[in-house]
Amino acid sequence: MLRQIWIVSALNFRSLKSRFWQSMVIVVGLAATVGVMLSMLSVSTGMRQAYYASGDPNRAIVVTKGVEQEPQSSITRAQAPLIAVAPGIAKDKDGKPLADRALMTSVPLLRKDGSKGFTTMRGLSEKGLGVRPEIKIAAGRMFQAGRRELIAGVGAQMMFRHMQIGDKVILPDGEWPIVGIYKTGDQLEGQLLGDTETLVTALHKPVYTTMLVRLASPASLDTFKKALTVNPALSVDVVRHSDWYKRVGDQNTFALALLGYVVGTVMAIGALFGCLNTMYSAVSNRGREIATLRALGYGAFPVAVSVILEAMLLSITGALIGAAIAWALYDGKLDLFGNVVFHLSVSPAQIELGVIWAAAVAMVGGLFPSIRAAKRPVVEALRAV
Amino acid sequence: MRYLPLIWSAVMRKPARTILTLLSVTVAFTLFGLMIGLNATFDEIAARARADRIFTNARFGGNGMPIAVAHQIAAIPGVKVVTAVSGIAGYVQDPKNQVFVAMVDSNLPKVFGDWGISQDLWDVVQKDRTGIVMSESQATRWHKKIGDTFTMVSKQMKRADGSSAWTFKVLAIGPDFQQNSNGYIFGNYDYIDKARPLADQGKIGEADLLANDPATSTELAARIDHAFANSATPLVTITEKLARAGNDFGGLDIKKITRGIALAGMFMVLFLTGNGIAESVRERFAEFATLKTIGFSSRAVTMLVVLEAALPCILGAALGVGIAAFLAGKIPALMPPGFGIPLPTMSPMVMLWAAISAFTVALLSAALPILRLTQMDIASALSGRT
Repeated sequence: MLRQIWIVSALNFRSLKSRFWQSMVIVVGLAATVGVMLSMLSVSTGMRQAYYASGDPNRAIVVTKGVEQEPQSSITRAQAPLIAVAPGIAKDKDGKPLADRALMTSVPLLRKDGSKGFTTMRGLSEKGLGVRPEIKIAAGRMFQAGRRELIAGVGAQMMFRHMQIGDKVILPDGEWPIVGIYKTGDQLEGQLLGDTETLVTALHKPVYTTMLVRLASPASLDTFKKALTVNPALSVDVVRHSDWYKRVGDQNTFALALLGYVVGTVMAIGALFGCLNTMYSAVSNRGREIATLRALGYGAFPVAVSVILEAMLLSITGALIGAAIAWALYDGKLDLFGNVVFHLSVSPAQIELGVIWAAAVAMVGGLFPSIRAAKRPVVEALRAV
Repeated sequence: MRYLPLIWSAVMRKPARTILTLLSVTVAFTLFGLMIGLNATFDEIAARARADRIFTNARFGGNGMPIAVAHQIAAIPGVKVVTAVSGIAGYVQDPKNQVFVAMVDSNLPKVFGDWGISQDLWDVVQKDRTGIVMSESQATRWHKKIGDTFTMVSKQMKRADGSSAWTFKVLAIGPDFQQNSNGYIFGNYDYIDKARPLADQGKIGEADLLANDPATSTELAARIDHAFANSATPLVTITEKLARAGNDFGGLDIKKITRGIALAGMFMVLFLTGNGIAESVRERFAEFATLKTIGFSSRAVTMLVVLEAALPCILGAALGVGIAAFLAGKIPALMPPGFGIPLPTMSPMVMLWAAISAFTVALLSAALPILRLTQMDIASALSGRT
């Protein structure tokens, strides 16, 4: 049986050259479908990756009970020390807990094209670098505590105007100079960093946004969480940092991803009709060939399978071409959505999805023509020629 | 007209091919309609945006602007009327059901009269401090009718007693407007202001105003920013016209994306129709030779092929745009609430572009077969030697 499938399929593939343009309908159809879908998904995938990369299972974030996003949270100055002394937090060399009082505000900036955008300015307290060791200075120097100065992420530098060392950023109490550029490899790269306490003064807002702590070990989350939830002075949620960003990332990219899948599905339906058309006419053009094979003793099943295999080969070729175009155009490109700076991504997982999409189209688009090919009476087909 | 039977028989020669081609073209034009229709909506929003309406926000932070700022702005020369806006963001019953209520003062209809909030409507809402007006879409979403109570929870906006539940009375239901598929809920600013803890009272999130002269409104916006540059609350002020001018969608160039998708769909269809017509002409080569023999001119034969190619394209385009128009109306029900993308509009421009694209696809698909037909040697074609 397998041998028969192999022989019939090989025969089909050898004759593909004579049906070149006809076959191209399937290839182009799937290339367009998968190319468009992966280009659209490159935004949501890249953005989700940037969020995921920002989380760390070794950290826990403390937010106001019930909030979904960081900026909605607020931790009072009275609550902050209570959180910092809770058990389960890793200690620095000086014996102090690695807890960062974070403050966030959104800062209006001009995008490179001159349109109005905004990014997040984040306050980092004295243990901030201990909690977030991924922050590396790429140029210039670190900001100094107590001084009205800030550092900008490499992503922010690429997406916004006036982001060079020495440029000034307008903040509530005047202009702060940029003294350095930092890298993190995650979503933080699109933001600005300064000293928390100085930012508190500047914002005239005596509260922090969240607390981020480094856990003594990934397992000490429960200890930490328990200590905070039983404390009646606090009304907070404690979430493992990686889980937090996984949820926020999924939530913030859901609509974009959905849009990509919807467009991908609609185009796949269009490509499916093209595939059906091509395979039906391929089967009818090769009626004599197929009938001859059947007369020679080849079964109906191998003939049917060979038709589906041909549709698969063409579809998957198309999908790979589409994926290659999407990858060449967008993968790794820096982009901005809302205030999130991230790299567009056409990942192997996305390409795999495109191939599965194409295989599904080929399956349906090849099935009906294959049934017709297999069912056609041999004598009638031979006589028709 | 007399060619019609000829074209019909050509098209129906292989009905399966014709129907599949038509279906594929229809799907591509459905996508085309939705994408280019979305652009049309953005254009319409930009066109309807008023040059004399100006939005002022605190440069930093949400509900952080003293209401005095609104009064001071009202006193700036060139400002006609200012309305103070605050907002409560929260949820209904479950954090998944996000909702936003804009709390506005008595000047709302003066500044936003063209958004469906008439003076009469707003008077009704203002009779009760806890009154709100919901757009039809929001009323449907929360299953509310006039006289119902609407309760939401806001973690960000606490009441003076520490509770986070806000209760409103639905006093009116207003018309939706197309630019905002999410609809709206407006309530009285007075209500949240007096209900909040003392420290939070007198704060607003936004001041929106009308300028006396649309021509100088950009300059007025700059003047407002300048006046508050060194105050405790620096502002960002922008005219509605400028705010809606870009194809801005969170920094993504939505027009480039939608056009790209529409174009990819057309490209896909071009291969399909091109191949279909080429195949059809190849199969009937001898028939065309016969037509020429009995006196059909080259032009007539060309017309036949073009029309044969155009038929599924034009029909598919019409069907596709029709389906797109139908789907556009269904989008709010199909998409998760709060999706926030405006509805595509099937404006005359969209239909024109669809027609142009359909003709272009038809002409391009017919080009190669026509070339073959004009170079045809009738004698050898008739004998089947080509």
